[in-house]
Amino acid sequence: MSKSPIDQLGERLTRKLAGYSSRRSFLARLGMALSATPVLPLLPVARASAADAPKTDFERYAQTTDPTKCTYWKYCASDGVLCSCCGGGSHTCPPGAEPSPISWIGTCVNPENGRSYVIAYRDCCGKPICSAGKSCFCDGGDRELPTYRSPLNNDIIWCFGKASATYHCSTAALLGLADGARK
Amino acid sequence: MTWIARCAAMTLGLLGSAAPAAQMPTAEFSAPQRDYILACAGCHGLHGVSNPHLVPSLQGLAGYFLDLPKGRAYLSRLPNVAFSTLSDEQLAAVLNYMVFEIGAGSAPPGARPYVAAEVGQWRKRPLTEVTLSAYRRQLVETLIRRYRAPAALRGYGTDLP
Repeated sequence: MSKSPIDQLGERLTRKLAGYSSRRSFLARLGMALSATPVLPLLPVARASAADAPKTDFERYAQTTDPTKCTYWKYCASDGVLCSCCGGGSHTCPPGAEPSPISWIGTCVNPENGRSYVIAYRDCCGKPICSAGKSCFCDGGDRELPTYRSPLNNDIIWCFGKASATYHCSTAALLGLADGARK
Repeated sequence: MTWIARCAAMTLGLLGSAAPAAQMPTAEFSAPQRDYILACAGCHGLHGVSNPHLVPSLQGLAGYFLDLPKGRAYLSRLPNVAFSTLSDEQLAAVLNYMVFEIGAGSAPPGARPYVAAEVGQWRKRPLTEVTLSAYRRQLVETLIRRYRAPAALRGYGTDLP
């Protein structure tokens, strides 16, 4: 019984392929591909696509070492005088001032690990405004919304709910991770 | 370091400034908890308690509104809820977190969780055509007199001590 033209073509191709390739070379190429796979996600292309959004102006210059500077990473949306320049800390009020129970909450990216954190911008109240140097007056605005979206606006004095609504200075308290939420 | 060693170190995550980042707090929130914190907690407080005269307390209280269909709808028709940037699914999850976790113990037995379709319908009718404080007061009085709600629900809107 004679072979059909399709069978003959198939046989010719298979013999040709077998003539110039070997199982060993196939295995070598497969091995290279497999071993390269874990490295590929580290390439810049993959890292760029993993970022949620392009960096804001604040994020380009954010630092993690000096909380008395407006560029400190947690102040990405701080609008006011830094309590860390007024005898308090980045998340603590100076003596004699008390934190407002009401604040607005946003997110800042930590430049050390590129992760987004939840920050509560609590004003410290009950004393006249702190007279710190000009470099302590910050105007961060990352992910802030206009005044008509008041819960996410930082032009508002957030000194509600205390006996005195007098603004003294601003803090930025770290609450936890904003990305990678558990389902 | 050779190219191969460098590749191996990259693969194992040994390069880069991992040490300072490791010192960061790593509290992780569930998705509804995170959405609640970002969208609601600034005023209502992380645990549903703030200044009860200025902001309604939610802790152990929010679920009482589910005693009445009108109360159930009320929570998703509140302007800041209805106008939220969250999707219907996310908003339903936040409402469930608020009612069943922050408000634990206050929802009536067997209360159904909110679902996206329901929230999607109610948020199309935000409570913008009513005097919200009066609307709430009337609802709260009904919940206290005819159902099991505690007098603490009256705290919001009263004068500061």
